Amino acid sequence: MKDGADMDEAAGMDPQDAAVIMQEARARAERELNIRHPVIFASWALVYLLGYGVVWLSIRGQQPYRAPAGWALALLALLAVMTLGVTAMVTDRATSGVGGASALKRRIYWLSIAIGLLGLYIMEAALRYNGVSRAVLGVVTASAPLLVAGVVLVAGTAAWLNWYAFGLGVWLIAVAAFSGFAGPVGVWAVDALAVGIPFLLMAAIRIGRSWS
Amino acid sequence: MSQDGLDPVIHAPARLRLMVTLATLPDGDTLSFTRLQDMIGLTPGNLITHLRKLEDARYVQMEKTGSGVNALTTVALTHDGRAALEGYTAVLRQLLDTAESAQRR
Repeated sequence: MKDGADMDEAAGMDPQDAAVIMQEARARAERELNIRHPVIFASWALVYLLGYGVVWLSIRGQQPYRAPAGWALALLALLAVMTLGVTAMVTDRATSGVGGASALKRRIYWLSIAIGLLGLYIMEAALRYNGVSRAVLGVVTASAPLLVAGVVLVAGTAAWLNWYAFGLGVWLIAVAAFSGFAGPVGVWAVDALAVGIPFLLMAAIRIGRSWS
Repeated sequence: MSQDGLDPVIHAPARLRLMVTLATLPDGDTLSFTRLQDMIGLTPGNLITHLRKLEDARYVQMEKTGSGVNALTTVALTHDGRAALEGYTAVLRQLLDTAESAQRR
């Protein structure tokens, strides 16, 4: 009696069938193994537009500047944690069972961001401890995470050779560097728009490409 | 090689799907046996039979780590496998082009 594998060969196929099988298998593999970036971009756009936007709303009338409202920072933190969860879920769905060089690069990438953010928050605590003004702290709290993410994206190009990520990293560094000139209140609005809108556009472009 | 020049190791529906799926991964990446089974939709017995044929031709490399419930089998396309799939694709394209020109005449 023939087993399944022999029956598969016995069935035979002409070149046209083979071409169809290849096309379907490639489309399915790309659909299942590629990370759904539009979901990730749209989620982070929400963090910046809504989270940073709410923080800006909570401080825009302050004269003189004091600090963002606790509830606004809590909402921003909640959105960031939820988005990290979405990012992890979308990534895990695509990369489950995938090992080797890419998995190692991905782990190093996320570890770099985590170490960078940890260092940043310790530095913020040191600034606070040394009595730095609230205005300086406000600018650092809003912009410095973008600087960390930007530098990791730019450096990550060495591993991924992804020039879109390189461009995004350069943009985040530029936003982090220049938005501080808007002051401790304006920096939240500038970052919200300068990061949120490009992220939304990138999500829309990726969706458009997958439909075309 | 078969009569039409297509590599008989690859020229079977299940093995063609396996090769194309593994070729989607970047060089140096592996895919677990269970994920591959889930994506191809074969029984474990059929999948292992096809993978062994590909392994015998040195087109894929299988590696088993751990034991018992922690056992993990991973599969990766080799450089020879990637080259063989590229060769298969080139021959297939040629056959399709020839058939298309014959139809036009």
